[in-house]
Amino acid sequence: MDVAVGEYIRRTVLKIPRDEIRTVLQKWGFLSEAQLQSVNFHQVKENTAREVVQLCEENSADIKQAAVLDIIYNHIYAEKRMWSVYQMNRTGEATEIFYLTDFKKKIKRRLRSALKNVTVTFREYEHNAIWIRIAWGTPYTKPNQYKTSYVVYHSQTPYVFISASVYKSNLPLLCQALVVASNYHDIREMELRSHSLNSLKDIVFKRYSQNFQTYCPRPLQDRNVEPESADLRIIQENRSEKERIQRVNREVFGDGPQPKIEFAQYKLETMFRSDPKMDVLDKKEPFRCLIKFSSPHLLEALKSLAPAGMADAPLSPLLTCIPQKARNYFRIREKKGLLPGSFVSP
Amino acid sequence: ARRGAVLGWVSAMESADGAVRTLPSTGRLSRGPPFGRAHGRFGRSPSARVLPPAPRSQEKADPQRTALLLRKQWTLYSVTPLYRFSDAHLRDYSRLLSAFIAAEKQKGLAVEVGVELDVKVAISSLPELKGSNQDQAAVLVQLSLRPSASSKNSEEKLIWSGCFCSVSGDDLSENMPEDFTCLPLFLANGAESYTSIVGSWFQKTFDCYFRRLAISPLNLSWMAAMWTGCKVDRTASAVELVFSVPCLPQPLDISYAIHPEDAKALWDTVQKTPGEVTQEEVDVFMDCLYSHFHRHFKIHLSATKLVKVSTAIASAQCDGIIKFLQSQYLTGVLMLLTELAISQIQ
Repeated sequence: MDVAVGEYIRRTVLKIPRDEIRTVLQKWGFLSEAQLQSVNFHQVKENTAREVVQLCEENSADIKQAAVLDIIYNHIYAEKRMWSVYQMNRTGEATEIFYLTDFKKKIKRRLRSALKNVTVTFREYEHNAIWIRIAWGTPYTKPNQYKTSYVVYHSQTPYVFISASVYKSNLPLLCQALVVASNYHDIREMELRSHSLNSLKDIVFKRYSQNFQTYCPRPLQDRNVEPESADLRIIQENRSEKERIQRVNREVFGDGPQPKIEFAQYKLETMFRSDPKMDVLDKKEPFRCLIKFSSPHLLEALKSLAPAGMADAPLSPLLTCIPQKARNYFRIREKKGLLPGSFVSP
Repeated sequence: ARRGAVLGWVSAMESADGAVRTLPSTGRLSRGPPFGRAHGRFGRSPSARVLPPAPRSQEKADPQRTALLLRKQWTLYSVTPLYRFSDAHLRDYSRLLSAFIAAEKQKGLAVEVGVELDVKVAISSLPELKGSNQDQAAVLVQLSLRPSASSKNSEEKLIWSGCFCSVSGDDLSENMPEDFTCLPLFLANGAESYTSIVGSWFQKTFDCYFRRLAISPLNLSWMAAMWTGCKVDRTASAVELVFSVPCLPQPLDISYAIHPEDAKALWDTVQKTPGEVTQEEVDVFMDCLYSHFHRHFKIHLSATKLVKVSTAIASAQCDGIIKFLQSQYLTGVLMLLTELAISQIQ
């Protein structure tokens, strides 16, 4: 076994939390059950990793198998990477039949003809998800297994999720290969990024509960399961306002769990407007700002602002449109000639 | 009788409790005297502050020395007056502190086998760092790692810096008995463990008391307003305000960055008195920013907590961390920080 391959496997194993190593190796399936039994998984990770590499040496592992282990690791720990979403377009309505072998061949061919040295590995998962791992090289250097990009393509959809690497210059080539191999015409990057791959999928595949305007005939009191306080001295102030906020919030955000995104960014190029009495800035040029919202679970945080009294209900559509518009990067300019207070987002 | 404002022996540093005793000041008060500083009494925030003097273009009094304060992250402390401190004995203090550090290290804090921890202490005076002639010259404490005999690198490595200073600290030094030296502001850069050791020695030796300097949202908004108005030669960086909303089910952070020209244009129309800034003007400036934000997002930023302010001349955080970015405004920022430190002591 190549020393570099052994080292790569060792480093990959070290990334895995100690208690998960056995499971991941089982998923990999390269080492036999008997071999796995012989490993002591309860020792210091460095030692476990060494034992694993020893066994891989016995089985003569090569870079192909090592690459598969890496894909499996990244599939399980996808949230460690930042994912961007791309959408492909094709003219004509005919749905093309997807041939997996054809797809794989075309991708490999396209990348190899341009760079000569690339390691391309595929793995299929449920829901027609194809994972592609690419280790980038150049016509003159071997592929660097530590500089990798990952692509997740759901073959029945026009969406591709890409976690690029430092070699951003290879992105156009990668996009081109994807378009050609999947029989589309072009591809564009959406303004949507997150660490949570599943949430990105939820958003573009519309798998979250959407806020349809529903006519709700039952009075709200029936729905609110808040028990009446036994102590009559406790009165709920602003009860009707609180209920209105809850209702509006539900309409705007929907009932179900929100897709998990960590940030949203708004580039504002709107006019600054103030109360004329205040005698402040009255420029004819935009008041340029960049606003970033961040949270471990942004949409849930935003949803809780109005009930907490920190925002009006309904919250601004600039924020609530994130799942529908499938974007979390916005550029907001002033709408010309219409009522003040309306914005356009390109 | 010699205790003064000291609270007693403490061998460890106290962390910020986040509660600077500033009462909300009434914005419609009459303005303070045009060329005398409004006194902050009993922790009350002044209704007006004199702007720091415009930077002198030939402020070249050894820029090397004050340059060491720039572009580093400093943790701020307030320090009660030092008893029987003399800047004629700095060499002696260096020796004593050096011995103290060696003794502390002997006590068994993180001992690495084979590594010689020979810490050299240098205490010097920085007379350039003061506001008026009444101010005590600043005192700089530097800890360097002496190269061990076996080390090829013969250079000393600076590992920790601390600076006691007072810029326009007359409020404190005015009525102070002779034996006391007033240097209410302390800046520390480097490992917390060294800050603790150095602080303990000073506390024991000069009967003083260190306390983390917390910067309230009110004072941060003063900084935002005052620093936005400062003229900067080169292209300035954005004026950034960071708000935190911790009490939601999911924490939320909001970064609000404004183009420096637009921020300054707004401030210039708000600030009407030459040479002075009033609470009212700061409030109007912040309200303008809040209402612009509210217009777009329907969120009340005033209900959130301002935790960080970043401008081209300096950045400050609520937990008492500062970064100086422009040498011409160094004294001005130190003057404001000295005022906050005195406020925390009294």
